[in-house]
Amino acid sequence: MTRQPDFRSAPRAAGTGWASALVVAGVLAAGVASYQALGAREEAREAGARLAEATREVAALKTRHAALEARAAAGGQALLAVDAPPSRIVADVATLLPPDVRLERLAIDYQRGGTLEMLVVARDAAAWDLLLERLERAPRIREVEPGPEARAAEVRSVVRARWSAAP
Amino acid sequence: MWIVALPGTRTYLALDASCVTAAEVSHGVKTARLRTLAREPLAPGALMPGPAGANLADEAVVHAALVRVLERVARERVTLVLPDGLARLALLETPSGVDAREYVRFRLSSALPWPAADASVDTLAAGGSRVVGAAIGRASVAEYEQAALAAGARVEQVFLAPLVALAGLLRAGASEAVHAVLGDVALCLAFVCDGALVGLRSRRRDRSSGEASRLAEEMRRLQAASGNGHAGVTLAMSGSDAPRLRADLGAAVPSLTTSTLPDGDEAGWLGGLLQ
Repeated sequence: MTRQPDFRSAPRAAGTGWASALVVAGVLAAGVASYQALGAREEAREAGARLAEATREVAALKTRHAALEARAAAGGQALLAVDAPPSRIVADVATLLPPDVRLERLAIDYQRGGTLEMLVVARDAAAWDLLLERLERAPRIREVEPGPEARAAEVRSVVRARWSAAP
Repeated sequence: MWIVALPGTRTYLALDASCVTAAEVSHGVKTARLRTLAREPLAPGALMPGPAGANLADEAVVHAALVRVLERVARERVTLVLPDGLARLALLETPSGVDAREYVRFRLSSALPWPAADASVDTLAAGGSRVVGAAIGRASVAEYEQAALAAGARVEQVFLAPLVALAGLLRAGASEAVHAVLGDVALCLAFVCDGALVGLRSRRRDRSSGEASRLAEEMRRLQAASGNGHAGVTLAMSGSDAPRLRADLGAAVPSLTTSTLPDGDEAGWLGGLLQ
């Protein structure tokens, strides 16, 4: 069964109604545990072997990750500022903004393939919806991911996307 | 009068802008059954769910409503259900080997209206390595907890209404559809596909004219942004005033249906529990 997220302030404590059930469960668990202890040693040995295998896999993945990072740093994954100067990206984004939307901050991460992070403020819900529609249809904007929205009189949110040099 | 809580029976106490609801639900191994439902309307403006600041604008009115509904249900083993609109929600892909709660805290911290250290963060498994992360201000949780305690409830758990509804959709293996779970002041759009959550948006409601058509457009955009390109995915609405919005849209949206969650003010979370 799916665990339901619990936000209660107080520390978790078992209810008193469960106390007797817990005692019975404890006695049963002790019996079962003594039986299972016989097999536990073998399981521990197998778990140790699995852990060693997992450790080897992690080490191999770390090596692969480092290699991929190095390749990306060399330009394999990165967007080059020569191909996509900030002024061009800003101009592109500006053309997509509806009149009732203002761009308060734009961050461009070239090392992560031209990831954009836009802090935008829309005057109302309709303007916000129009902005999302335009971004999703823009040929050079990919992977549009609207962040959580704060809607009071106006809509304020962070939109993440990726700018592509090729339309 | 003595009220004895039966084994497996729990009282869910939910608050939203329009009403306070208490539901006694008996849980079996894989089933849940509604035993008692009590509901008290709230005067407009008495409770205003929001992520920051005081929510209980008129504590006396809310207290009186809580006392009245709790008179009709067991007050032991109470689960408090917080309304939509309090939390920041996001669907996130968690990297392997990372504590999901800490990852959610990191990802949501920049968008919280309070310091991240003051956030209570938890996650709901959404299929694969995805989780729905939720962050609520501790002060908001404490405010609702205090109100419930003052009315005589023994609160053991605090759930969030949209997450209870989403858990129900996932547990029921809901068919491919974009679900709009409507609260009084906020809504949650969830694109469920093959029993997993593949898209999620959560925002405050704009009840001005044209809300229904804006909502339908947003549901389509969510499907287009997170879906596999299929046309004609079912759009489903449930919860507070869903019938009115469906009527507003009328025949303009032929694929609009009733969600597997029922209609009604408390339907989203209660439907989720009973799925």
